[in-house]
Amino acid sequence: MFQRFTKDARAIATGATKIARELGAPMVEAEHLLLAATRLEAPAAETLRAAGLDYDGLLDALQDETARSLAAVGVTASTPRFSPFVRAPRFAASAKLALERSLKVSLARKDNFIGAEHVVLAILRAPAGTVPRALECAGVDRVDLQQRF
Amino acid sequence: MLDLSSPDDPADGLAAVVALRRLAEQLEAAEVEHAMRAGWSWPEVAEALGVTRQAVHKKHAKRLIAAGVELRRR
Repeated sequence: MFQRFTKDARAIATGATKIARELGAPMVEAEHLLLAATRLEAPAAETLRAAGLDYDGLLDALQDETARSLAAVGVTASTPRFSPFVRAPRFAASAKLALERSLKVSLARKDNFIGAEHVVLAILRAPAGTVPRALECAGVDRVDLQQRF
Repeated sequence: MLDLSSPDDPADGLAAVVALRRLAEQLEAAEVEHAMRAGWSWPEVAEALGVTRQAVHKKHAKRLIAAGVELRRR
C-alpha cells in the first residue's frame, strides 16, 4: 500500500509523527495527519487552508475540542509539560484507519496512486472521533468540505 | 471536581474518555519527571504509581537521560 503513496502523502505520514511528538501526544492520531496536511504545498492543503484550517486554526480547534470533552465530565486541566519521549510515537488506530481509508478513496476514484487529497478525504470521512468534533468546534461543515476535493 | 453523571450524548462521554486517557499519559510523563528531578528513586516512583520498576524505567528512563535529569541508580 505504501508504495502507492505520493511524495506528499508520505510527507503527511512522516510530518504527523514529528508533530505528535512535538505536541507530547502519546500516539500518532488522525488529527496529527490532518495537521501535517495543512503544512503541505499541495492543492489539498490549499483547500484546507481556504476553509480556515491552517495549522494554527486546526490546533486551536483541537484544543477547544479537548477542553469541551473534559468539561463534559466536569474536568478542567491545562496540558502538562514534560521532556519529550525519545522514541517516535506509534500510529494509533485512528491514524491507521485513515491511511486504510485513503486506499479506498483512491480506488473509488480509479486513481493508481494515493495522494495528499486521498489521505485528507479519508481523514474527513471519519464519522466519529476527535477530528469531526474539532471541525465542529472550528465551525467547518465536514460534508461540505469533502465535496471540495 | 469530577462530575460522575454521564453526559447526555454518548459521543461526548466517549470523547471525554479519549481526552482523559491522553491527559493521564501526559500527567504521568510530567509527574515521573517531577519526582526524578526531586531525587526520588525508580522503586519509589513505581510503587507510588502501582506499577513495576521495570515498567516505569522502560517507559521513561531514555527521555529523562536525554533531558539531562540526574537519576538515582536504585
